[in-house]
Amino acid sequence: MRAGLVASLAGHAAVLVWGLVALPDAETFSTSPVDSLPVELVPVEELTRLQKGEKTETEIRDVAALTPTEAPPREAPQPDEKPGDATAEQAPAPTPEPAPEPEPVPEPEPEPEPTPEPEPTPEPEPAPEPEPTPAAEPEPEPEPAPVEEPKPVVTNVTPRTKPTPPRPTQTAQQPQDENFNPNQISALLNKVEPAGGSTSTTQDQASLGSRQGAENVRMSQSELDALRGQIARCWSPPVGAVGAETLKVRVMFGLDRSGQVSGSPEVLTSSSHPAFRAASSSAVRAVMRCAPYNLPAAKYDAWQEVIINFDPRELVGG
Amino acid sequence: MNELVQSTLAAQEGDISFFALFWEAHIVVKIVMLGLIGASVWCWAIIVDKTLLYGRTKRQMNRFETVFWSGQSLEELYGTLQNRVNHSMAALFVAAMREWKRSHEGARPAIGSLQQRIDRVMDVTIQREAERLESRLLILATVGSAAPFIGLFGTVWGIMTAFQAIASSQSTNLAVVAPGIAEALFATALGLLAAIPAVIAYNKLSSDVGKAVGRMEGFADEFSAILSRQIDERT
Repeated sequence: MRAGLVASLAGHAAVLVWGLVALPDAETFSTSPVDSLPVELVPVEELTRLQKGEKTETEIRDVAALTPTEAPPREAPQPDEKPGDATAEQAPAPTPEPAPEPEPVPEPEPEPEPTPEPEPTPEPEPAPEPEPTPAAEPEPEPEPAPVEEPKPVVTNVTPRTKPTPPRPTQTAQQPQDENFNPNQISALLNKVEPAGGSTSTTQDQASLGSRQGAENVRMSQSELDALRGQIARCWSPPVGAVGAETLKVRVMFGLDRSGQVSGSPEVLTSSSHPAFRAASSSAVRAVMRCAPYNLPAAKYDAWQEVIINFDPRELVGG
Repeated sequence: MNELVQSTLAAQEGDISFFALFWEAHIVVKIVMLGLIGASVWCWAIIVDKTLLYGRTKRQMNRFETVFWSGQSLEELYGTLQNRVNHSMAALFVAAMREWKRSHEGARPAIGSLQQRIDRVMDVTIQREAERLESRLLILATVGSAAPFIGLFGTVWGIMTAFQAIASSQSTNLAVVAPGIAEALFATALGLLAAIPAVIAYNKLSSDVGKAVGRMEGFADEFSAILSRQIDERT
């Protein structure tokens, strides 16, 4: 038995040694190095906030020195404002006077009132803000348009990586802006964004930047589809005419908050096709007939002006 | 937590050697691993021992048979073997001859049931020899069937602790998970390492024992026949 035990021990020792020599070589998988791409999942809501924030940035730079208007005074007059403002209040407390630019932004559009209240820096504050609002312009297509435009602005804002930053802090940093340290600005901007977002759910957004407001509030795909479907149901496409299926009509129309068509729809495309007139009028009729559109009130900015393509090939039978 | 840090460190170093896997394992897994290694050593010791023993037994039987059938007188053969330690066939032969001798000693030889006594003596001897050959073979069988389960136990335990470490580190990074699972699987590997040779060897060796015992029984029958003829001739 002893011989067996000795042999066995020797054998195991040999195997162990062999294992020590051979196994550590277990080859590491050769993986081609992949550059890591930072990917963030941003819900649509966040995206809208982000964009607003960015746009406000551009404004802020201009206005930066302008408005020391403090959040608290404003809130007193307008208690409706909601949570976003409430948070805004807290910020000013720690840093007393800093010019809270973001705050002025929401107010100005509709009512000049707030600016008087804020007192501290009288100056031309209101003036800059209104400017952006006119920008509202024709572009407010609910669909892809908004995505494109924000991008250039985005480049400025490197730090926006955080979609959900603390709102209040913005005000704190602002005061130092006189030096205009771009980094700080970007930081401010980030924080501004969420504030804008909060207000966005309310109608204050519109006040922010008129144009931005309209573009920034993106409608979700399902909402767009709902709108499209609603119109398609009312539309009797111009069948029968030769080549009617190639007639694409682009109609722009305005909506008021109740979903009613305001003004008369405008046909944006033109064609020499004999049936075009019929097609365009059918499109306009469809828009009018479906009149009360059921759309999310919170995103009114996005759908106050709607451009829709009537393409017989797609909408037929809708 | 400490273990976790160690294991992640090990992962970073790419250290997957035997020792690393062993040292980072949970204490229970370590015990399992040690037990399995011990079982493997013991099994191989038995295998080596039994293989040698059976080889020796076979040679002895061959040699004895050639001598036995060489026409040599049984008395002489008994004289040479009598004082040695004998195994297998030689033991059978000596046991039978001793009984024969004793029965013929004294004034009145007890030949009446001598045949039965010789048979019985040889049966007992065969049993004793078979026992000697089979001893410890059951250990192989036990290891062969139990080692995989023991290894599996170690693996389950190791993976359990690995998951606990993952939970406490709140990271599912593969680098955190991998070392724990690797060391856990190492336990199963050891279990199989011990069990596979044990099972194979058990089957092989037990069939060898069966053959040897069969051969001894055959010899016992032949020898019994020879003695029985002798007895009948004398009465």
